[in-house]
Amino acid sequence: MSLLELAGVSKRFGALTAVSNVTLDVEEGAIFGIIGPNGAGKSTLFNLLTAIYRFDEGSISIGGTSIAGLTTQRIARLGVARTFQNLRLFGNASALANVMVGEHLLLHANIIDSLLDTARERRERAEAERRARELLRFVGIAGVDEHFARNLSYGTQRRLEIARALAARPRLLLLDEPAAGLNPSEKQDLLALIRAIRDTGATVLLIEHDMGLVMNLCERIAVLDYGEKIAEGTPSEIREHPRVIEAYLGAPT
Amino acid sequence: MHEFLAQLANGVELGAIYALIALGYTLVYGILELINFAHGDVYTFGSFTALVVLVALRAANLLHGAGLILGIVAALVVAILACALLNAGIERLAYRRLRKAPRLAPLITAIGVSFMLENLIELWQGAAPVPFPNVIPNPELEIGALQVGVQQIVVVALAIATMIALHFFVKRSRLGKAMRAVAQDRDASSLVGIDVDRTIAITFLIAGALAGVAGFVGGVSFGSAWFLNGFGAGLRAFTAAVLGGIGNIAGAMLGGFLIGLLESFSTWFIGGQWSNVAVFSVLILVLVFRPSGLLGESLPEKV
Amino acid sequence: MIYAYAFVAIAACVAIERFHNRKAKIAIALALAAFLAVGPRFYGNEAVFSILADAAVYVMLALGLNIVVGFAGLLDLGYAAFFAIGAYTYGMLASPQFGLHLPFWALLFLAAALAALFGALLGAPTLRLHGDYLAIVTLGFGEIVPQIFQNLTKYTGGPNGIAALDVPTFFGHSFGASVMPYYYIALVGIALALWISRNLRESRLGRSWMAIREDELAAKHAGIDVLRAKLAAFAIGASFSGIGGVLFAAKLALVSPDLFGFQVSVLIVSMLVLGGMGNIVGVVVGSLLLTIVNSALLPQINSLVDASFHTTLDLSNIHFLIYGAILVGIMLFRPEGLLPNRERRAELHHAGEAEAEA
Repeated sequence: MSLLELAGVSKRFGALTAVSNVTLDVEEGAIFGIIGPNGAGKSTLFNLLTAIYRFDEGSISIGGTSIAGLTTQRIARLGVARTFQNLRLFGNASALANVMVGEHLLLHANIIDSLLDTARERRERAEAERRARELLRFVGIAGVDEHFARNLSYGTQRRLEIARALAARPRLLLLDEPAAGLNPSEKQDLLALIRAIRDTGATVLLIEHDMGLVMNLCERIAVLDYGEKIAEGTPSEIREHPRVIEAYLGAPT
Repeated sequence: MHEFLAQLANGVELGAIYALIALGYTLVYGILELINFAHGDVYTFGSFTALVVLVALRAANLLHGAGLILGIVAALVVAILACALLNAGIERLAYRRLRKAPRLAPLITAIGVSFMLENLIELWQGAAPVPFPNVIPNPELEIGALQVGVQQIVVVALAIATMIALHFFVKRSRLGKAMRAVAQDRDASSLVGIDVDRTIAITFLIAGALAGVAGFVGGVSFGSAWFLNGFGAGLRAFTAAVLGGIGNIAGAMLGGFLIGLLESFSTWFIGGQWSNVAVFSVLILVLVFRPSGLLGESLPEKV
Repeated sequence: MIYAYAFVAIAACVAIERFHNRKAKIAIALALAAFLAVGPRFYGNEAVFSILADAAVYVMLALGLNIVVGFAGLLDLGYAAFFAIGAYTYGMLASPQFGLHLPFWALLFLAAALAALFGALLGAPTLRLHGDYLAIVTLGFGEIVPQIFQNLTKYTGGPNGIAALDVPTFFGHSFGASVMPYYYIALVGIALALWISRNLRESRLGRSWMAIREDELAAKHAGIDVLRAKLAAFAIGASFSGIGGVLFAAKLALVSPDLFGFQVSVLIVSMLVLGGMGNIVGVVVGSLLLTIVNSALLPQINSLVDASFHTTLDLSNIHFLIYGAILVGIMLFRPEGLLPNRERRAELHHAGEAEAEA
């Protein structure tokens, strides 16, 4: 069954068509990659999925629910979490607090609980904190809990952002260039981490430039070029696809 | 009808002053995204420097005949220079270090500078309004049903001449082009060899000079100067800049005249004690419903 | 004499901020509370406690504004408007103005609720605005509210305000002319405000505010209802100010529109900036310091200089200069305030110092 369905989705900025008539199905439980040259519309596509931008045409549904007109926070409630190409951590808060914000939707304390520090508030806080520490360990950065996010190394920040996204227990996890700026050994760890995330039951949709990583990791790949989907298939199909080779002519694969 | 035209003339006169001040907000905001909260007080400073020069010249008995014209020019020039230097000095001492600081820091600093200026002007010239020398003779002219004072004409003409000069400066001169480039993209400008610090300093100089002109014509127009004048006038002018579309020079002029007319007609219809409420309601409504202003463009948020 | 109290209070606050041991912090806080509660039996006079009561009201206001500015990162330059709403609630409903003489204690709650309501009403349309624009809109609101009170002469007494407000009673005992009841009520108010501030900071809502302050877009992606969280900050912050307004009006037995201008809003922002935005204890220290300087130190220096040099200075003239210098000086040289909390220190300094600290 498809978790994410795009049908004929377009987005224009003035005269520029950033995403053009894209149709895409992402199966539940998949690791799905989107690749394409710079400016191909990959990030714009992500931004349509979380309602940073509104799409002009077509339809997008997540778990059978259309997201047309939904706000970012409503879409989060559908079980979508994401990371950003240029990290957007809460820099001046501890790593732990970052992840605990990610758990926002799992908690139920209301404003009265928060004002009066009720038993529910305290119980939830203790649980949230325990889960957050667990997640930091899961993504491989145990021990940085009390550090400020802004002071962590780049690779650690990338993982922290993934931990924050996972904290919401998403059905659909969007990773925007998770390997950008990582060294080869960090990339290997990332590969294992993304597989482990999938094994917990989440569906992973990722944008990536590193072809080696994508080919290794993804079961299916879609290729965007000038906003259009020019190919989709398994890694080996994509490797052989004439239009992909054309689009990437000269680019490292 | 008669009253209507009189209020119209009043509004245009007020608007000319607000427009001049609004230009200072808009130039600085365009280039630094900073609400230079102290700008209104630079305007006050301009009124007082012009006032001091005129009072000194009058005391020396120089303000008659050709001396009167020269005296007026001298007061105007001193006010322009003093305000330009003050504004650039504020930028150098208070704002420059904070260019990369979190966004609220420069605004809070600007409020601090505003309070200090107000207090220093109060210590210098006292807490009560000081009468502004009545140097421009003010016979009323009748143009059809419209009755305007010569003063009003001088004030509006001076303001409009200044705005036209500014327009050509920004559009045509090298410095003006550099200003627009830095406003667009500071990093790229410095890559193509524009001295960003210098350009910003010059922007503050020009904004200050405009406040100097405004200070002079404001003094002439209101007939007095007061240490707190700049607070109210500054907020109105800022509202004008926002109404026109902040960062947009033509917008600031348009906004200035609109706010001037709003103030004069709201005073006529519902009383002066409500004009603050009217002006700030406009500010809030514009910011809420059309934050890009009448002539501004809205830009999508960068992600 | 007043300095003794202020010094002890500030020293205790600094100690609380510096100690890491939770029990030690609680012990110091309790000792301070006991000292402030019992102290008046032995030491001090009405004039001293009048100033301290005022200081305590300002501490409450600053703690309320801290929720809006420090926690949620929304610069509110019209906070005095809510102070005015609180004060006028008491002024109009407990005075000969309408012949209504509602009880002080009920009005404390009513004022808190009304201020919160107006906080939410102002917030609803404006909270979509970012940064500077929000600051200016709140400033506009802060200018409008006292103006409205001034113009609606029929209801509010106009520019003269309302005088001869009721003297509150406590189980039938009138407060009389003494300032002590206000002092004690304000102390209890501070204790409550501190407790609520701490609760909020550690809570789910507090984390939402942190997220919004740090990165609003990322906060939305975590599913946080940003508008609602901001409204909550505005409403809660305003309610502190409403209560402060009732205390202020009752103690002064007077309200008038000129008591709630922009300079009051800036004064409270200065207290926050001085102590360190976002830091609960720092805010207390900042507001105590500024009130003491304003109401005790300046007048004393004034009379001292006048007596020694036979001058007639008026140092009340330099309040603006002091607030202004604090805002500029702190922002330029110590943006984290005198007593920063760790988060703000890291944010406002560019170098990563917290690494070593953590």
